[in-house]
Amino acid sequence: MSKEELLRIPIKMDLEYRYPTGKHFTHFFRVLKEEGKIMALKCPKCGYVFLPPRPACGECHVPLEEWVQVSDKGTVQAFTAIHFKFFDANLGRVRPVPFGSALIRLDGADSSLNHYLEENDVTKMHIGMRVQAVFRENRQGNIGDILYFRTIR
Amino acid sequence: MARRVAIVGTGQTKHRSQRDDVNMMEIVYEAATAALQDAELSIQDIDAVLLGNMEMFEGRALPEMWCGEGAGGVYKHCLKIATGGTSGTSVAISGFQHAASGLFNIVMAIGFEKQSDGHTAAGMALTDPFWDRHVAAGAIGNFALSISQYVAARGVTREQAAKVAVKARRNACNNPYAHLQLPHITVEEVLSSPIIAYPVHRLDMCPTSDGACAVIYAEETRAKKICSRPAWVRAAVTRHDYSYLGDLKDRLISIRTLRDAARVAYAKVGIHEPLKEFDVAEIYEPVSYAELAWYEALGFCKEGEAGRLIDNGITLMDGELPVNPSGGVLSTNPIGASGTIRVAEAALQIHGKGGKRQVSGVNMALVTGYGVYSWSDVMILSSSPG
Repeated sequence: MSKEELLRIPIKMDLEYRYPTGKHFTHFFRVLKEEGKIMALKCPKCGYVFLPPRPACGECHVPLEEWVQVSDKGTVQAFTAIHFKFFDANLGRVRPVPFGSALIRLDGADSSLNHYLEENDVTKMHIGMRVQAVFRENRQGNIGDILYFRTIR
Repeated sequence: MARRVAIVGTGQTKHRSQRDDVNMMEIVYEAATAALQDAELSIQDIDAVLLGNMEMFEGRALPEMWCGEGAGGVYKHCLKIATGGTSGTSVAISGFQHAASGLFNIVMAIGFEKQSDGHTAAGMALTDPFWDRHVAAGAIGNFALSISQYVAARGVTREQAAKVAVKARRNACNNPYAHLQLPHITVEEVLSSPIIAYPVHRLDMCPTSDGACAVIYAEETRAKKICSRPAWVRAAVTRHDYSYLGDLKDRLISIRTLRDAARVAYAKVGIHEPLKEFDVAEIYEPVSYAELAWYEALGFCKEGEAGRLIDNGITLMDGELPVNPSGGVLSTNPIGASGTIRVAEAALQIHGKGGKRQVSGVNMALVTGYGVYSWSDVMILSSSPG
């Protein structure tokens, strides 16, 4: 074959998705919106408190039905500040940087929640740092109702 | 009872950031024909063709269909496996299991990814829509979180992590297939590259690559006829974990999937002192710090001594246990192929076909795969069927 100039065919798409939340997330997001409370599910067998809530315990594989309220305060288990521009599928565009994020274990939960920190300077972050959820004014029933976690001083 | 099975041929493409000279079917064809040529087999000898790929990254549905002729899967048992970063080792382990089952005699497993075709970042961003997507920042973001825990617990330094990054890129210069070839890279250069997510510098992280890799398995009788020095599969173990990052307690420190997979694989083969008993290791290190964590989890050193291992050069090419003579994932990362490359590179070392990256006298080789938040695969290959 003779040497030909190689081509690229550009394609653009606009797509819409609708994800059903299912019964566990629906309950969580309704209570978050209406009462401003953070709910979790407790395993009847091993006692692990799951956040996000889900239908079954990974270890015991038994159904989770017991809702418990956990605190809006918690402890940082891991932290970072993101400096590279990452595509945010919820926004449909690149997320502004830098931003602080952390794994936060809310008091009363066994899982840690992956969420934003108000702080984006890593020299002011440490494992064991106490933080508290800051809610948005008009809650809509999704995880964005927690805007970020602010440092408790 | 599983049959004895060996890898009798391997083939891979020249991995690059952008292989515009080939499309998906062509890149798969390149790897498949290279493996057949290496094993001196024809496609008619192959009973099953298995494919590993993360189709969201290319944005093409049903890649197993669209690369059928290239893979040689037409009129054969053919399927695709996708398990994130472990896709390449999952498909390799499945290839072994197909041949070991007695239902197929010769099986080809092909991992491939053509990241430049699509948007890997978008594929990563399309994680769980209710919780994860809100805050996730791809593999870099989630590793950075876990690295903060690992550094706090173990006291490894950024210089020690950078040494891993340097080792990988220098080793890659001996591998004509490797993507990043940085012969003059230094620790200072890694540390002066921009921080992308604290404490990870750009050069601590793997690249994105286009590439494909194929391995051919044969059951015992055929393996001995086809290959003068087959790479026998002595163990293949896979472990999956919870869905959310927040349920993996101290991920890089505990890494219980990798620890458990290694424990089971070592017991099966009778490995007690991995640093002494393995001659080479090809492990899946998407970020420099992860390799240090894997040293501990794989029992190469005691807890907290991984930094010392890299400081003392134990895992360099001339060290006691060379880790990733190929340059590893830090040098080449076509995701669906990255795990398959680990398997192929370990098999190459046993076949004695490693060229400039050959470690002398390899009889026992360790392979790992790593994917999503904490999925792990472990394979052990040996020059002896056991």
